Amino acid sequence: MPSCTECSAPLSPPTDAVEGEIVPCPECGTELEIVGLDPVALALAPEVEEDWGE
Amino acid sequence: MTEPAQMPEAASAPASAPPPVHAPTPAPSRIDDEAAVDLLEELVSAPSLSGEETLAVTLLVLRMRELGFDAHVDAAGNAVGVIGTGSPHMILLGHIDTVSGVVPVRREAGRLYGRGSVDAKGPLVAFVVASARAAAAGRLGGRVTVIGCVEEEVASSRGAHQAATLPAPDACIIGEPSRWDRITLGYKGYLRARLSRVIDAGHGAHDRASAAAQACRLGVHLEARAAEFDAGRTSVWERLLVHVSRVSAGSDGLQDRAELDLVLRLPAELPPDAAQAWLTEHAAGWTVACEGGLSAWDGPRTTSLHRALSRAIASQGGRARFVRKTGTADLNVVAPAWGCPALAYGPGDASLDHTPDEHIEIAEFLAGVAVLEHLLANPAWAAPAD
Repeated sequence: MPSCTECSAPLSPPTDAVEGEIVPCPECGTELEIVGLDPVALALAPEVEEDWGE
Repeated sequence: MTEPAQMPEAASAPASAPPPVHAPTPAPSRIDDEAAVDLLEELVSAPSLSGEETLAVTLLVLRMRELGFDAHVDAAGNAVGVIGTGSPHMILLGHIDTVSGVVPVRREAGRLYGRGSVDAKGPLVAFVVASARAAAAGRLGGRVTVIGCVEEEVASSRGAHQAATLPAPDACIIGEPSRWDRITLGYKGYLRARLSRVIDAGHGAHDRASAAAQACRLGVHLEARAAEFDAGRTSVWERLLVHVSRVSAGSDGLQDRAELDLVLRLPAELPPDAAQAWLTEHAAGWTVACEGGLSAWDGPRTTSLHRALSRAIASQGGRARFVRKTGTADLNVVAPAWGCPALAYGPGDASLDHTPDEHIEIAEFLAGVAVLEHLLANPAWAAPAD
């Protein structure tokens, strides 16, 4: 079972999750990105981008 | 337009008025890509400068009815169309008004040019087409309300404030261009201000700063104070942006008057009231008048709505990216009012907003439609976890 990269809590991402989806750790709230599906792999989610304009 | 533009009835008609007589709603049929682009071109061709949106709103209401929506014009002049029934309920809200400047409407090299093509009729029409397609396919899970808002490009945000009086939906998406594979989480706050001062008139050969010079110096002074505020803040999202939009001065022979117009883009920690106090503190001796204050708004990226949209982007071969932007949008008005999962999404390149080169890539527009259709056909966006 995949686990949080920060607190090691076990996670169960949705079965229909896709790569790039962001899921929160239920224990520490860290945002994690699904970077692989077979098997499920997690990484610390990238920083939110910034952009000018509307 | 191919039909006479008869003004659809406003929902706010007096109680004594006869009930609205809507055109018969035909059985929904799928709108193909060519018809979708035709609809976008038609709407872009209808001028809709802020405050002058009636023609475009009328057109959009008529076209929504043809596509199976129950559509009307609301009390603020917004185009409102509902398709599907029951719950969950999604509101897709885009703005139909544009800034000034004529950009000849034309298709060229896979692009549709025209004022409003990307900001924001492209995203708005993508909402309409995607909803209609999902409904025609019998896959619309629940109910979708599409709102074409008036006056987003001016300080009043009149259309969004009217929409915000509606009962909260289960989720909402604001139509602004952010690329077909990118999701906007939040926008900075906004405050428009006019600083003015009157001084006694005097001969220009004397050693004194004219009213005009004082206004210019004030602008530079405030930019410097904003830079101090921003010290240590590496993120544009956290910074206070001061934009001098106009400097004006004049005299009646006895008194000289100077005006400095500013647009402030506000970080989350500086709501409009605090920003006005900041201006007053740093513009001693000037009269400060503000309008159009909106606080910054920033949402999470882990709601069911965000995850479902990520999956919809993936369904078209993309990988969702997330962004916060320096502008301000109707998201800042309705998201805090409704308190539901909310984000902004729409095909197109926002760097083309308000430019003489404004256009939208037709392939990207259609990709955005496909993403939204996929989203609406899979009501996972309203999972109870939210």
